Amino acid sequence: MNDLHWLSITEAADAVAARRLSPVELLAALLSRIERLDPRLHAFIRVDADAAKDAARTAEREIAAGRVRGKLHGIPMGLKDIIDVAGLPTTCHSKILLDNVAGADATVTAKLRQAGAVIVGKLATHEFAIGGPSFDLPFPPARNPWNPDYHPGGSSSGAGAGVAAGLFPAAIGSDTGGSVRNPASCCGIVGLKPTYGLVSRRGVFPLSYTLDHVGPLARTVADIALLLDAIAGHDPADPGSAPSGTWDFGRELERGVRDLRIGFIRRFHETDMPAAPEMTAAIEDAARVLESEGALVRTVTLPSLNEFAAVNRVILASEAWSVHAPWLRTRPGDYGQLARRRLMPGAFIPAGDYVGAQRRRTQMIAAVQEAFRDVDVLLCASSMDPASRIEDAAETARTYPRQARTPFNVTGHPALAMMAGLSDGGLPLSVQFAGRYFQDATVLRVATAYERATEWHTRHPPVG
Amino acid sequence: MDRDLMIALAKAAGLKKALADHFDDVAAAAAQAAETAGAIRVPTDPAVEPWPPMRADTSQ
Repeated sequence: MNDLHWLSITEAADAVAARRLSPVELLAALLSRIERLDPRLHAFIRVDADAAKDAARTAEREIAAGRVRGKLHGIPMGLKDIIDVAGLPTTCHSKILLDNVAGADATVTAKLRQAGAVIVGKLATHEFAIGGPSFDLPFPPARNPWNPDYHPGGSSSGAGAGVAAGLFPAAIGSDTGGSVRNPASCCGIVGLKPTYGLVSRRGVFPLSYTLDHVGPLARTVADIALLLDAIAGHDPADPGSAPSGTWDFGRELERGVRDLRIGFIRRFHETDMPAAPEMTAAIEDAARVLESEGALVRTVTLPSLNEFAAVNRVILASEAWSVHAPWLRTRPGDYGQLARRRLMPGAFIPAGDYVGAQRRRTQMIAAVQEAFRDVDVLLCASSMDPASRIEDAAETARTYPRQARTPFNVTGHPALAMMAGLSDGGLPLSVQFAGRYFQDATVLRVATAYERATEWHTRHPPVG
Repeated sequence: MDRDLMIALAKAAGLKKALADHFDDVAAAAAQAAETAGAIRVPTDPAVEPWPPMRADTSQ
């Protein structure tokens, strides 16, 4: 088979099932591509080739013996390096944790292994999922495969860059203020922040306890559904884990959007943070595409994006300070400058302000819940701008906060970002869909309808 | 934020080493904290509780 690196999970699984492709052959092709491209893209902190080859051989034997575990069996994927893999360091891309070898798999890692996935390695992140892109860390920052001079988004940077570049078909990242959806937006792929509590956070290094989500990145919406089927579920070891449920996240993919009510949050990109014209055009076009597919699109209004962002920042900074204070007191020089600056604000936020932010959060959740009384799904911007040049710190600092992802970290609703066009400069544009609690399947349904009505998911970066 | 207040708060938070070695970063963090908190309209209704609400364990 040709172009194994562009196979989706679904396509690779079908080829494996038909005995046209072996997991060993697929992994070998991807390891060769990683060896060729990663020195430019830096998606990986660590490639665990030997363990991956062992896992691929095991998968091959099991499949040959008829013991097929499902669609992820024998599929290579990467994990953001804040997620524990037993026996490997979880560095969080930081000097602070260079020797932090995990004693056990994170729940999400264990679930992927149980599904037969092949863990290829640990992926670049912004330091502790907040400080980046940085050049003063033990590992270089990941770069955007559409143009390596540009930022791939973050903080799940290696996940976005690697999936988009065809180094692996899927990855797992984390999302506290948009960190799965930002790299998905910048790299032209699909990224889902599931409903809060749907995917366990046990064994994932915390940034902010009440905002952290674990979520998948892939090149197609159907692959996101497969990944979510594998990693969702109650975990008694995660205090925020949702009660058990029975899910089939692919069940609605084929239903289309006829008569589905979509609330278009125009104020986010029109008035709160006016988006770049080409991003605005892409978002408006996404609404038109869904309308032409039969959806009923109407404008809805929520609290201002700037206030959602402020609530997110106060909560994040306060909770992150409680994690990092011991190291910031004794080893401040072992952080990169960006992480140091973004983790220390919690030292200056009074407890009353933190509680005030959590009280305002209650009202914001109520406002979004109220909106969902009249619509089934929300549509809005993800990023307001295409990716910035990675070495242009000022432009990155200007554009990075110009996004509409934090509202759904504050509220915990499921939200997905995906490619919605290409800028004049050849960089991906994006759109975001959000849904009711635990109706992640409906978000995937809308995303599938958009994906099928457009051709953006067929575009690949000119990375070779 | 006033410089003396910033230094006093940083010392109280145990950031003496950061003040000595990375003063500008501490000052930037303090400025960001002050700017961000001011952007939130904290509820005036005392009945609005923080999220998530305290819940007693019902499993036993």
